[in-house]
Amino acid sequence: MPTTKAILKSSTALAALAVIVAGCSPVSSPSTTQSSGTDARTAKNGGTLRVALAAEPDKLDPTLARTLVGRTVFNAICEKLYDVDSKLTVVPQLAAALPEFSADGMTVTIKLRTGIKFADGTTMDATAVKTSLDRHRSLAGSARASELSSVADVAVTDPATVSIKLKVPFTPLTAVLADRSGMILSPAALKTSGDANFATSPVCVGPFKFASRIAQDRIEVVKDANYYDAAKVHLDGITYKIIADAATRLNNLRSGDVEVLDAVAATDVETLRSDPNLSLITSESLGYQGLTLNLGNVDGVGKAPKQLSAPYAGPVATDKRVRQAFEMSLDRAAINQVVFRGQFSPACGPISPASPFSSEAAQACAKHDPAAAKALLATAGVATPVKVSMVIGNTPDARRLGEAIQAQVKEGGFDLQLQPVEFAASLAQTDAGKFQIFQIGWSGRVDPDGNIANFVRSGGSQNICGYANPDVDSLIDQARKTPDVAARRDLYGQVITKLHDDAPLIYLYRQKNLTGVSSKIVGVNVYGDGLLRFGSAGFAA
Amino acid sequence: MGRYLLRRLLESAVTLVLASLVVFLGVRALPGDPARTLAGEESDPATVEAIRHEYGLDRPLPVQYATYIRKAVSGDLGRSPRTGIPVADSIRHALPVTLQLATFAIVIAVTIGILAGVVASVRRRTPAEWGANAVSLLGLSVPNFWFGQMVILFLAIAYPIFPASGFVSVFENPVESLRHLLLPALVLGSALAAVIMRQTRSAMLDALTADYVRTARAKGLGGAQVIFGHALRNSLIVVVTIVGLQLGALISGAVVTEQVFVLPGFGKLTIDAVFTRDYPMIQGVALVTATAYIAINLLVDLLYSVIDPRIRVGGAVI
Repeated sequence: MPTTKAILKSSTALAALAVIVAGCSPVSSPSTTQSSGTDARTAKNGGTLRVALAAEPDKLDPTLARTLVGRTVFNAICEKLYDVDSKLTVVPQLAAALPEFSADGMTVTIKLRTGIKFADGTTMDATAVKTSLDRHRSLAGSARASELSSVADVAVTDPATVSIKLKVPFTPLTAVLADRSGMILSPAALKTSGDANFATSPVCVGPFKFASRIAQDRIEVVKDANYYDAAKVHLDGITYKIIADAATRLNNLRSGDVEVLDAVAATDVETLRSDPNLSLITSESLGYQGLTLNLGNVDGVGKAPKQLSAPYAGPVATDKRVRQAFEMSLDRAAINQVVFRGQFSPACGPISPASPFSSEAAQACAKHDPAAAKALLATAGVATPVKVSMVIGNTPDARRLGEAIQAQVKEGGFDLQLQPVEFAASLAQTDAGKFQIFQIGWSGRVDPDGNIANFVRSGGSQNICGYANPDVDSLIDQARKTPDVAARRDLYGQVITKLHDDAPLIYLYRQKNLTGVSSKIVGVNVYGDGLLRFGSAGFAA
Repeated sequence: MGRYLLRRLLESAVTLVLASLVVFLGVRALPGDPARTLAGEESDPATVEAIRHEYGLDRPLPVQYATYIRKAVSGDLGRSPRTGIPVADSIRHALPVTLQLATFAIVIAVTIGILAGVVASVRRRTPAEWGANAVSLLGLSVPNFWFGQMVILFLAIAYPIFPASGFVSVFENPVESLRHLLLPALVLGSALAAVIMRQTRSAMLDALTADYVRTARAKGLGGAQVIFGHALRNSLIVVVTIVGLQLGALISGAVVTEQVFVLPGFGKLTIDAVFTRDYPMIQGVALVTATAYIAINLLVDLLYSVIDPRIRVGGAVI
């Protein structure tokens, strides 16, 4: 039986060959930005779709919701001012057109579609938009407040127009309004249920409306007759079942107890593909997985960086050459092959190659070269092996990933100690700065600002590295003021070049959104944002 | 009897308070910050602080505990900060699922266990006994999560006779309920069936060599009458004791079985609450469990004296 080491070695050799053939840098772009369940068959009307979700959504209140999985349920019941299309371009949804930014970038005008009704039959208009945006900005415990922190005021110009005054120019606002911050809630329902109870009976505009929920078990939505495009909705309803275990989820899809499976495990892809009754929808994720290095997080996330002390201090924190050597020891292609059976994509930066903001600079990648890594450590004058610890999750996948990294960096002159920690505990531990390296990822946002700024900008809300670079801050701020996509693309390219040099984060791989679908179902769409779209789905006629 | 009951009720109240305190402190001793966990991906220090304040997690522990007890006494177990759903509602949905599963598992375990035990004791040194022993050994040694996956693979996927997941209440649709609960109950009851089989076999072997059985046979009673009417009847005392003792283990086993078969029961509720650091939910679940155990113990103690008047309670014959 081949040992893990042998598999790692042979995979490394294969991956090295692949890298030589591919020419190493940059990481190749995917051929498509999405792969949907497009099918020649048509959908018939009727039937309730059963969907297995990997985790339980939190509050079904767009203002308070925080989980990624919750966004999938919202997609069926709460439409937004803007949405993304299959190419990840922002397009109007409840808005009539893309927003108009004033010349100084301080005022945003949004025209709304008319004749649209909420699930409770009341009208969606500018007053409803103002009510929703104000609630997102100011409700106690709002998860949207930081996304909308650039907004100074929302005013109703006429029933079909709202005007948003900004504190600073902020072009990523359009993409922010294409997520939960752009979801419009029924003011009448808010009044009836109150802020505390809206999550138990949410009312928005959507192809489906909320019907019931049993905690830890299921969420049921039914077709909304008030929906403006109700004629195109085929399904009577959707039942989201919460099945945390990947093997159990797959079993339920294979047995026909669910028709759609969210988040197929990479290790289950072959089983799924071999079943003629099932199909796999794949799309590139906007997020990434990587390593976050503690450079100066002493007093907790968001606080000014300081010099680390034992046991977290070390050359990894103080010398960027050591961090660069760590990155050069990593063979991303081999990690993808060994840990994820080649199902994911190696990644070297926070912007997906599928994004319109991707560039050559954004996809540039440090070459895997353990010998050069050792030479760099010698130049830095540090004694090898360099001892360093890494907090990883305690799931089998996280452990396999940790062990693969451990084996690879050993060749580059590092002695990596793994610290498996349960997820909730790891968040608290690393926020407090009690780590050297942390393996964590990000689910990804359409606008690059959402994938970069909070993590590396000085004092960023998720900057657990304790990283501060005025040049990076300045470039991020410039990109926020610039409406032109090409100019922003260039600015983000410059940010990423600086991040590669300082290496506060080492990006590793980009997950794919893997969705299993029964052959009985047609019209399921999954774009790069990973959300399941059932507006035109149905049982095959 | 009145004084005894009063004393037991007071003892129960003290036990409950202690249990609630242990759970209250226990969940807070877990590593990880519930406010940070709730904040999810888009956390920032200000949001985490706001969440901590909203749920009173920034207040001193004695104050938090006093608030919790005051509300619990009035029947308010709080809301899950994660989903916003009242804890009591979640428990009300989950408890019947686990109770129906456990009851069904006991029925299956007792039926299989007794039948296999009788066969093994009556057909000694035959393939029937070896088969029963082998099945019993398997039942004891195979872990529930693996057995669960196997029965799903064979009886829900390869031969789709049963659903792989889900729950239908027996009071809504008994036939569908049976279809949904048969596999999980079989898996959950397998270990108990094995224990019952071994004990029944052992008790039956003793009984079959006892004088009263020989006498019964000498009086000309038929085989079935001797086995079921005399030997088995006396062996059942052991079975009843075991079922009582194993009830706790059965409920704990339901945690795994509920995960494998996606049953929205008490075990699944507890596990998910722990992983998401849902303090009100963990405390609510623990409080209800502790209350149930205390109530059952009290009931059993009282029932002893009803079943057998020779048993005294509180130092006096009732």
